[in-house]
Amino acid sequence: MARVYNWQLGREMSYWYPENRPQKQFAAVFDTNKCIACQTCTLACKTTWTSGKGQEYMLWNNVETKPYGSYPLAYDLKLLDMLNGQQWNGHKYEGQTIFESAPAGERVLGWRPEQQDYAYPNVGEDDCAGQVDHGSFLSLPHMNWFFYLARICNHCTYPACLASCPRGSIYKRQEDGIVLVDQSRCRGYQECVRGCPYKKVFYNPMTGTSEKCIACFPKIEQGIQPQCFVNCIGKIRLAGFISKPEQARPDNPIDYLVHIKKVALPLFPQFGLEPNVYYIPPIHAPVSFNRQLFGPGAADAMKTYRNAMNDPDLSGLLCLFGSTENVVPHFRRQGDTVVGSNGKDELVRVPLREPVHIRPAVDPKNQLIRINCP
Amino acid sequence: MRYITLALLLFTAACTKAPQVVNEVVAVGSAKLPSSPADPAWNDAPVHLAKMIPQDLVEPRLMTSSTPEVRVRSLTNGSEIAFRIDWDDADQSDMPGPAKMVDACAVQIPEKIEKDLAEPQMGQAGKRVQVTYWRSDWQATVNGRGDTIRDLYPNAAVDHYPFQAKPLEKESADQKEMALRYAPARALGNIRSGPRSEPVEDLVAEGPGTLAPGPSLGSKGKGEFGKQGWSVVIIRKLPDGLAANQRTHVAFAVWQGSKQEAGARKMRTGWIPLVRRDQ
Repeated sequence: MARVYNWQLGREMSYWYPENRPQKQFAAVFDTNKCIACQTCTLACKTTWTSGKGQEYMLWNNVETKPYGSYPLAYDLKLLDMLNGQQWNGHKYEGQTIFESAPAGERVLGWRPEQQDYAYPNVGEDDCAGQVDHGSFLSLPHMNWFFYLARICNHCTYPACLASCPRGSIYKRQEDGIVLVDQSRCRGYQECVRGCPYKKVFYNPMTGTSEKCIACFPKIEQGIQPQCFVNCIGKIRLAGFISKPEQARPDNPIDYLVHIKKVALPLFPQFGLEPNVYYIPPIHAPVSFNRQLFGPGAADAMKTYRNAMNDPDLSGLLCLFGSTENVVPHFRRQGDTVVGSNGKDELVRVPLREPVHIRPAVDPKNQLIRINCP
Repeated sequence: MRYITLALLLFTAACTKAPQVVNEVVAVGSAKLPSSPADPAWNDAPVHLAKMIPQDLVEPRLMTSSTPEVRVRSLTNGSEIAFRIDWDDADQSDMPGPAKMVDACAVQIPEKIEKDLAEPQMGQAGKRVQVTYWRSDWQATVNGRGDTIRDLYPNAAVDHYPFQAKPLEKESADQKEMALRYAPARALGNIRSGPRSEPVEDLVAEGPGTLAPGPSLGSKGKGEFGKQGWSVVIIRKLPDGLAANQRTHVAFAVWQGSKQEAGARKMRTGWIPLVRRDQ
């Protein structure tokens, strides 16, 4: 194994191949606080990419209710259990990644879901963490809670699927860091399914090959965000490109949220893949749970997000989510407006606060009393 | 009556004659190569018992030994060579699916007959090996299993496939073209991904991880699952330069689907001498 640097762990780690970062790295930020689990993203992906034979069970995009939801079943708990409890020391991970804890004869620590594990994509949906007793009322933080976790492939910097494939059939594109399965080379050994801790590679029994989220690369190549982003009703998603921490640009929306404000965090960074989908953690869920999912930055991220109303740059950027189908490489705030651009042309302009229109109860022109019921 | 009894005894003895066991794979001359493993022509070929070892050279390795040996017979008609490979297997695994592996076997022969042999495990750079690979789910397809999800999951409910919607006509070129969009491996011509007429494929390799489609060796195959396990016939072109009484080498690999064996997780033999005896 080679030694590579994983900034999410704050240390070097072992990986199957030497460090080879792409020229650009596709990345995304999902705001869990805005997701309503309408599954429009799921359907947008499903109808675009996985409507073929053998793809019936595949959800390259899914939305699960935490704490109990998971697809495939218990994909996260099983691996956490296999890792058997690991430690962070501040922002440095002192535990073992799935590469470092690979058993003899294996490339990564992994497991392969059974068919039944794919049979319950909505298990735990809307189930909250505990029973809501008679007489309970809403308080903050919530005594019982749940939140929605939308998931796609993380297009990791150190993909476990890629490391697991003995044939080198999985590759990471130099131009955008998107991880793809070469459908002409794959022989369906399902090693990638076993290796990916997020279980975002799926075996197609009709073609005998494994398939995965492609980050809608034909759209990314055109500077347009993927299907699950532009169809998001809750406007929770923003796609772009992320820099290394030391090269972060304050006007890059992804860099700003991940590296500068540190309000968006990777999912299960302790697995060691340096995943590139970042989550603004749910502010009503317990810190301990968020910390397990999103790492040691969870408490600070929650605090930053709670304070966003007093931070016009941050709240302005959050207004850009879902405001355009274009990938927005640059943003700036101008007073009460936030502007997204490609460096030359303006792509979108959004007010920090929508104008408020008050419709009087009396229409003097028509001498009418307006009522609110139909 | 005495003669009848004697004849019956002789007939029974002939039927139960133990096969000749040899310490190399001997390809016996035969005008016609049997395509079925049940063909009595195989009784003319001596059997070689090839011990198998787990693939433990490259990750992912097979850490638990499974198939202990294969029983191999061989025949040749001078232009093709046939192998019958038998191994014990308690489970017939021929349904592919998530975490469902299928039974398979392969025959490996060096591309060239030379003194300095290629590495027995998939060859090495500059020393290519030819691999003919048989799979149980392909056999099921050749035997008539359909190309729909209900052939794998009889109770599957499918709302809609875009390529089966109007105005596309059933089986039309437009419909087939659209269906390919949702089967990228087929669209790209991945030879393992589509409906097929033979349960085998011809491959070449120059080391672990390099397996790739090779020039056609005109391979054919047929596998049957019985009480004891699989019996598979693989027929391929005779190795280049293998004249009568000459030797090359052959190696075998077996995958048991029920034991999650696929790809590098397999049982294999080392190189075994293969001699052509035309008689």
